[in-house]
Amino acid sequence: MGRLTEKHNLKGTLVCVEGIDGSGKSTQLALLRDWLKATGQDVIFTEWNSSELISQTTKLAKKKNMLSPRTFSLLHAVDFADRAKQVIAPALKAGFIVLADRYAYTAFARDVARGVDPQWVRKVYDFAYKPDLAIYFDIDPKTSLERICFNRTPKFYEAGMDLKLSSDPYESYMIFQGRVINEYNKMVDEFGLIKLDANDSIHSKQVKIRELLREVLREKGIEV
Amino acid sequence: MEHKTKNGYEGLLIVIEGTDGSGKSTQLELLKKSIQDKSYGVMVSEWKTSRLIANVIDDAKERNLLNATTYSLLYAADFADRLENQIIPALKSGFIVLLDRYFYTALARDVVRGQCIEWVKNLYEYAPEPDLVFYLDMPVDVLLKRIIGTTGLDFYESGRDVGFSTDFYKSFEIYQNKCLEQYNKMKEIYNFRSIDGTKSIQEIHKIMNDEVQKLLDSGILA
Repeated sequence: MGRLTEKHNLKGTLVCVEGIDGSGKSTQLALLRDWLKATGQDVIFTEWNSSELISQTTKLAKKKNMLSPRTFSLLHAVDFADRAKQVIAPALKAGFIVLADRYAYTAFARDVARGVDPQWVRKVYDFAYKPDLAIYFDIDPKTSLERICFNRTPKFYEAGMDLKLSSDPYESYMIFQGRVINEYNKMVDEFGLIKLDANDSIHSKQVKIRELLREVLREKGIEV
Repeated sequence: MEHKTKNGYEGLLIVIEGTDGSGKSTQLELLKKSIQDKSYGVMVSEWKTSRLIANVIDDAKERNLLNATTYSLLYAADFADRLENQIIPALKSGFIVLLDRYFYTALARDVVRGQCIEWVKNLYEYAPEPDLVFYLDMPVDVLLKRIIGTTGLDFYESGRDVGFSTDFYKSFEIYQNKCLEQYNKMKEIYNFRSIDGTKSIQEIHKIMNDEVQKLLDSGILA
């Protein structure tokens, strides 16, 4: 595989957070961003499925349940490629700290859980730079479900209803997200994801993340 | 059940390839009609026409939003959608599916745009093998005149996004030449039935029709 397994030699620093919904990754990334900004670092934030090019199309297609595992995968790859070339790469070259809420690993976890070939999807994303720090927030599907669906039913694709695992969205969510977690766990070794327990307090997780990032930055000669 | 077709399904998969202006659409129409006349079920599908994504590609092209990678991936998504929702269902029901362009088009264009060929091949590796691929072979000078005389110089079709030259004609010439180079490489690899595109419309149609008839006579659909 290409870039995803090789250290990039760009000035900037790439940090990503991973995990299923409700694992608290966005909260942690927001706290990290505020802290870095307060210390005067150049920070850029980018999140999954947010490109100008395609994110609206993908959202609409999801609403209409129009996506197969393969088109689901490819549309998210379009989104990622757009942000990778438009936002992430230029920022890394300019020396920014890039904070990514979800990265290629999200595709590897979700798409493979949908039955897409693991090698195929890895190759699709082989233009992606390897993050300097990739954190995976580990949570069980039940806690995730309680956190994100306390006032709504799980959505069609997040519950993996397209796979027809169960006609009950709650049960389908549990099975599908269980598979996604399974894929994440495989990637801990494969890509060197750093696994944190999502059940820890917001504070203790943030302390840990800052420690990890400080170390990464120190290697690049940046003291925070 | 085992099928005799290369595509692996009950129906036939027939592709017409060639660069812009090579006369694909005209031949597709004629071939469709002649196959219909023989009482076969025919389905036609053209490049970049999926309900999912075709208009996004047009819109993005209009606004010059595409880089080489998003260009490749969007076309791959369009292809996947048509393959899964139109082409494979039709093949499964025993139709003769006629395609205006196949993934060879993507291979040619994406590689010209600087993508690694192995990466592009991976995007399409699940595509069924066609039973017949016609390639309309055109000398570049005839091709250039035809395009200029009909549709004119389109931004992406002139490869202006790649930046070969600031001169529109020069860019167009370089881009089309490079595409042809890719097609020429593919001829043997993918077993194209190459046809001289400068022959008359009726002559070309006869060649295609005869080839299809030969295939049908071989009992491939039985």
